[in-house]
Amino acid sequence: MNIRSIWNAVASVALKEFLHVWRDKRILALILVLPPFFTLLFGYAFEATELTGVRAVIVDHDQSDHSAKLIAALEKKKTFAWKKLKDIAGDPDLLSLHASAALVIPKEWAATLEAGAPMPLKLFLDGTDATSAEELEGRLREMLGDFQGHDDVQELTVKPLLEELPAEVFDAMKAMTPDGRAKLKVEFQKLVKPWQPETRILYNPGLRFIDYVTPGIIGLILQLLTVTLTACTIAREREAGTLAQLIVTPLRRVEIVIGKVLPYLGISLFLIGVTIGVAYFHFGVHFRQPFMLGLICLLFLLCSLGSGLLISAFCHTQTQAIQFAVFYLLPVFPLSGAFAPIERLPDSVRLVSDIFPLTHFCEAFRMANLRNADISFFAGDLLFLAIGAIVTCGGAAWILSRTDA
Amino acid sequence: MPDPIIVLENLRKAYGSTIAANDLNLAIPRGEIFGFLGANGAGKTTTIRMLCGLTRPTSGHGFIDGLDVWTDRYKIRSKFGYVAQKFSLYPDLTVTENLEFFGGAFRVPDGTLGPRIETLLKQMDLVGKRDAMAGSLSGGMKQLLALACALVHSPPLLFLDEPTSGLDPVHRQQLWNLLYDLGNAGTTIFVTTHYMDEAERCTEVGFVREGRLLVKESPRKLKASFKSKLLELEIDPVMPALAALRSAPGVLDATLRSGHARIYAADPESLLREWQRAWPFPDLKLISHTWVEPDMEDVFKAWSQGYTQLLDRTAS
Repeated sequence: MNIRSIWNAVASVALKEFLHVWRDKRILALILVLPPFFTLLFGYAFEATELTGVRAVIVDHDQSDHSAKLIAALEKKKTFAWKKLKDIAGDPDLLSLHASAALVIPKEWAATLEAGAPMPLKLFLDGTDATSAEELEGRLREMLGDFQGHDDVQELTVKPLLEELPAEVFDAMKAMTPDGRAKLKVEFQKLVKPWQPETRILYNPGLRFIDYVTPGIIGLILQLLTVTLTACTIAREREAGTLAQLIVTPLRRVEIVIGKVLPYLGISLFLIGVTIGVAYFHFGVHFRQPFMLGLICLLFLLCSLGSGLLISAFCHTQTQAIQFAVFYLLPVFPLSGAFAPIERLPDSVRLVSDIFPLTHFCEAFRMANLRNADISFFAGDLLFLAIGAIVTCGGAAWILSRTDA
Repeated sequence: MPDPIIVLENLRKAYGSTIAANDLNLAIPRGEIFGFLGANGAGKTTTIRMLCGLTRPTSGHGFIDGLDVWTDRYKIRSKFGYVAQKFSLYPDLTVTENLEFFGGAFRVPDGTLGPRIETLLKQMDLVGKRDAMAGSLSGGMKQLLALACALVHSPPLLFLDEPTSGLDPVHRQQLWNLLYDLGNAGTTIFVTTHYMDEAERCTEVGFVREGRLLVKESPRKLKASFKSKLLELEIDPVMPALAALRSAPGVLDATLRSGHARIYAADPESLLREWQRAWPFPDLKLISHTWVEPDMEDVFKAWSQGYTQLLDRTAS
């Protein structure tokens, strides 16, 4: 058996398989339209994730200068769209107020502030969406911190502190050397000044979520298409009886599997090009290490196509194959780190995440593209994808000749 | 037997407690058109699938050209063509694309595939349909295309599983003429069928019932295996007569043939004498009787229903 004869056999299968897709105009339209469409849709969906214009209610029982200043400071930020209410009895009814948050400034707040021990502000949050609630709380804390750090507020809190100091302290200070006084001043400032880190963001300096999520979008769309398309190929032949016809030919199982993978590999590589094009030209996502990204995509596609074929070889009908494909694809969405970092998942679930090719694809893609990392940082992910491709394709070939019902 | 192409040795296939093929023993010489006959579920398809290496035999062996049909299945795949019972070509590929695909799969060399496809298209009368989608062909043309695909690598042996079921008489005739031509050119043909006129065209016929091979003979010898001629009665009205005769003592079965009731009975002569003496059905009028030569349908009926009383078993 020479190379030429093997190539001819594989090419026969590949051509036939390509014609199946080419002649099915509905599937063809789906394949060509959906990837760019979803890239746009997901791209816009994830372009900005910051919460803005959240409806919130503010109730000022205090009606002081300080509370007015606080409200003015809060209104400067776009996170909340504040609505002022005169009064509220008991806990605010967020639902009928059409608000996600309510902030109540208690009576005598300014007075307690001036006395150096401000009473706490009351914040009510809608906890239906836990993530948003936490984020809103964080934002508000941040705003209050900024307000507190403001000079005239500082003066308010620091002044009473000074006034309360016994006269002996001032006498002692007068007796100090200028050097010692400077030292004491520094110590004192340390106490009252909030700590401020000087932040420099590396790898994704614009903190653009779209840059982070791009591999997720590419991987998800391509995995969806490749797995569902290939999941049908062998099952369809089994259902139609052509598989028996295929098996009585001298084609080897490996030749059948490679022949079936090739056209879909070509199609999906083309589609990755389209998706990357949309991400680059429309959303301005930059791509580094093109050769390495190509390799990552290739291994990921082989792994996905192999998974589809494995499902296909295992199932008896296309209906079964589609069911299996859906249940294979479903956990991948929340668990693969396509849209949210898997670091948020508990360790036990991350073990499951690790068996999805998409997890390793996203990891390797982000390493190579966002962090411009050397291959040594994601060699493990590449190895997993390569082994996955071999195991799934090999498994499909192994099951392929099983024609007994 | 000189150098048989197919040999079965105690070939058995069991699906759980169901035995689809029960210790089949068979040898088929080269160039024969072997008709494999049996009722639905008798084990014909299972046997063909075992011979094609699609199903693993439970026990026993099958050999094609001396190679085991299971352990050497990859080696023997270029030696035969297989036309399955169900249409199993690619409906979304054209006639020539189907032929080209199977040509490639059977590793027909590039230079010879083109001319081979032209020959087959002419032979099957499909030249005008070469660019039509296989799925759009009529049932007869589909079957001719399936045959062409099975022949694309010019195999010395051809398996056909009920190739004519559902075909009109014209296409049935055309297909059998092609099989004859192939047989004359030296191709061995293993064909299963339900049609007795087709069985008559085979050089040898094997009857299978409940997975067992009952007999394997030439059609001529099979017909000669009847002990006597068959009794046919002209009765008026004939339809109620059939039901009445079937329940009459001494009658195994009665069928309608060209308006007459054909009787299967162990001793038809004494039955006739008795009926001439005292006709037991007052509502029915016995008009006349004739003695007819058994045909393949009668032979099949006798073997498949197990009417061994009718047969001279030493003849086979």
